[in-house]
Amino acid sequence: MDEEIGGLFRQEAAELMASLERGLLDLERAPKDRAIIDAVFRDLHTIKGSGAMFGFAALARFVHEFESVFDNLRQGTHGVDQAVIAVALRSCDHIGRLIEAPEGAEAASAELLDALRLAASGETAAAPPPGWSLVFRLGRQVLRLGGNPRLLLAELAELGAADIRARLAAIPALDALDPQDCCTGWQASLPATVPQTAIEDIFLFYRDDMQFNLQDAASAPDLPAAAQPPAEAPAPPVPAPSDPVPVPDPAVAPPAPVREAPAAAPANPPVAETMRVETGRLDELMDRVGELVIAEARLSALAQRFGDPSLLAVTEDIQRLSSGMRNATMSIRMVPIGSIMGRFRRLMRDLSQTLGKPIAFTTGGEDTELDKTVIELLADPLVHILRNSADHGLESAEARRAAGKPETGSIELAAAYSGAEVLITVRDDGRGLDAEAIRSQAIARNMITADAQLSQSETFRLIFEPGFSTAKKVTELSGRGVGLDVVKRTIETLRGQIDLASEPGKGATVTLRLPLTLAIVDGLQIEVGGENYTFPLAAVEECVELPPEFETEGRSSSFLNIRGGLVPFLRLRTLFAIREPVPPFQKVVIVSAGGQRIGLVVDRIVGNNQTVIKQLSRLHAHLKCFSGATILGDGSVALILDVPQLVSLGRAQEDRLRDQHGERAA
Amino acid sequence: MTKTILAVDDSPSVRQMVRLTLTGAGYSVVEAVDGQDALEKASAQKFDAILTDQNMPRLDGISFIRKFRDTASAVGVPIVFLSTESHEGLKQQAREAGAIGWMMKPFDQAQLLAVVKKVAGA
Amino acid sequence: MDVVTLRLGGELMAIPAECLREILEPVPVTRVPQAGNFIGGLINVRGVVVPLADLRVTFGMTLTEATPDTRMLVLELPIAGDEIVVAILADKVHDVTGLDPSTLEPIPPVGTRWPPDFVRGIGKWQGGFMILPDLERIFTQGAQKGSLSAVAEEGV
Repeated sequence: MDEEIGGLFRQEAAELMASLERGLLDLERAPKDRAIIDAVFRDLHTIKGSGAMFGFAALARFVHEFESVFDNLRQGTHGVDQAVIAVALRSCDHIGRLIEAPEGAEAASAELLDALRLAASGETAAAPPPGWSLVFRLGRQVLRLGGNPRLLLAELAELGAADIRARLAAIPALDALDPQDCCTGWQASLPATVPQTAIEDIFLFYRDDMQFNLQDAASAPDLPAAAQPPAEAPAPPVPAPSDPVPVPDPAVAPPAPVREAPAAAPANPPVAETMRVETGRLDELMDRVGELVIAEARLSALAQRFGDPSLLAVTEDIQRLSSGMRNATMSIRMVPIGSIMGRFRRLMRDLSQTLGKPIAFTTGGEDTELDKTVIELLADPLVHILRNSADHGLESAEARRAAGKPETGSIELAAAYSGAEVLITVRDDGRGLDAEAIRSQAIARNMITADAQLSQSETFRLIFEPGFSTAKKVTELSGRGVGLDVVKRTIETLRGQIDLASEPGKGATVTLRLPLTLAIVDGLQIEVGGENYTFPLAAVEECVELPPEFETEGRSSSFLNIRGGLVPFLRLRTLFAIREPVPPFQKVVIVSAGGQRIGLVVDRIVGNNQTVIKQLSRLHAHLKCFSGATILGDGSVALILDVPQLVSLGRAQEDRLRDQHGERAA
Repeated sequence: MTKTILAVDDSPSVRQMVRLTLTGAGYSVVEAVDGQDALEKASAQKFDAILTDQNMPRLDGISFIRKFRDTASAVGVPIVFLSTESHEGLKQQAREAGAIGWMMKPFDQAQLLAVVKKVAGA
Repeated sequence: MDVVTLRLGGELMAIPAECLREILEPVPVTRVPQAGNFIGGLINVRGVVVPLADLRVTFGMTLTEATPDTRMLVLELPIAGDEIVVAILADKVHDVTGLDPSTLEPIPPVGTRWPPDFVRGIGKWQGGFMILPDLERIFTQGAQKGSLSAVAEEGV
């Protein structure tokens, strides 16, 4: 073949294919447009003719059939639908392959043409009406437990399920068959008008232990029965539950495994390479790593003292290993928060029904990981907050309509990382918090005095205090004497914080700030007045020299200028009532929490170390400035500073200073 | 054929509510006052479904499910666990013991009927 | 019951032996700012951080420097439903002795400087008297927001 002429044909074919593709896509939007169908037909006809002329026999054969299908469509009553377009587009791609490599590509021609003819024949199986395509397989034990697939199928049928078929591929050979095992799967299509939740609700009891694949039929071209091997039984051989032994009829269920469309129901989902470990063992591992870290710190202190180079080298190795081991152990303990979000979906669904309020519940940041201890303790507070949002936050559907809002209230639960913290937010679009109502309630309950000056966020936070409840009527859900103070207590146990924001009429947002882990953190050790303290390193932004004019405590301004920003600072020496003389060259550790920065004046920065967090005894639980203690390399105990608490102390001081300035100005 | 349901609860008022609701809908109801009673009744007769409470004298609900599931007569009998919503963990335990479903207490007649219909059929 | 007898602030005291976990030579103490004098320190007991209490503060005794005889007693006490580990200071630990609880006498209402709430009773030992402090009550109150410093001051 003349290369030049062949090249010309390729170019022409490429243009024709582009035109064909455009035509098919246009046709998808305007399926009855005769002009477009004619244009498609012309493109095909030209490709066929030119192809045959330049020796592309396979191409010509294929396009001839393709063209015939469209010719039928052009003359017939059955219009062009999604299924036809989908196969036609694939056929268009196939034309390209037939031009590039006719020998390799032709094998696929027959299959495509079959699909194309089937799609164009207008059989419902081939062109499913828009709707749901459901494939499910119950847990193997379900028949023994009294589960009844027939009732499920009846419920599906009530919803309008059509074309219910059994999927028998997973049924083992007769000799391996335990008739009490449920090996049958089913597929069905349901009208698009059925809400997804209605379908899911049918399987409520079964969802924990089943394969369930519900797809929009239009978006799941692999699911329609056209893609199913014909070996699938046309009638549903449902085990009758009243028969104790539901043996599938061998006539309908060939014992040999049947090919099953893999995309539809993966009978053997890929096994994730995981193993279950008892959590007690993880705790023990963490304790051991904690001890290792402490022993390593002692070794390191000794090595420094002796200064022997080979000892120092080994110590560095051990340091590196223990640090790696710590990270590995901690990562084992990290659990995605999505693991507890699942149960909230159910909770919100139930709440929605009990309260008679339509609720759209969404979640985000399911991948955010927290230490498993934190996750476990978090579940109850979140239930409280979500319940509170649904019960008190969201208005009734009528009230929402009256306020010009959508009837369905929305509640969003989301998690995200922020430095060494995880932020968990519960946001609703309800009525919002009424600061005045909260205030008068708090005054009525003697929680604050009538003349108390509270900022808005301080006022909001009152709802987390014991004994506070604004519920005017005691509802079934909230009148249980368990208030949001439980939430506050738990979050404080976790060394976390609660923030509340609200805009009246628009909704409220509860934000929980939680540390990533309760076990080991990187620490920055400092010294003041001969005492050692540790900052969680993640909260430290930088360390600077204390400017000489601040060397001694004065009544002048307590702000540092850090690159143009004013940062209030506190002297740990003063805060902790240390009487030792002040050394020269004090340092300021700039820390941040919740987006706010403060400086803390210390004598000396000792250095970074791994810090095994030991909880403080209950006898010291009332102390605000410390989040725990740790053991240093010399065996002594050092307290860990609670940065969020120190930051709020610093901001309070800042407010006082501002007030003083204000008074002076006035 | 009339379907027979075993209602296991130590509270006579709950049993009465279950009996009235279900008999009104054409079911036949047998009552058991605790897990031990239920175990004896369920071994003697095949029920179309069993509804059981958790906190009961002599034998609690989950222990009843566990013991009953060890017997041959339990095959194919659906058990619904009636739990209080504050006990997520219990529900899980009941599932592991062999309950097919659960229902949150308190429930109303419509919910009860819906669940029984779901597991036992109409 | 068996008790451990010890000397503190010039007085003889008895602690139920069943509470005692171990007796330590003094170890370095980390001061806890803002915690007050009573439970004002932390010590490292083999990797466990344990609060250190000074009963002399509770009983309003004079605080003196440690001597070679000074010991720390690690105790496990049932406080508000939990077992809490806490260490106390002793000027000297004598020995373990049997004590018949029926011989315990209530603290005389007058003529003593002890806050009566914090004493379970007075026992006799080697011809002298010994005090059985009510550790549960002392630490239960100590756990409540360091209110003990105020109570202790009343005792002075």
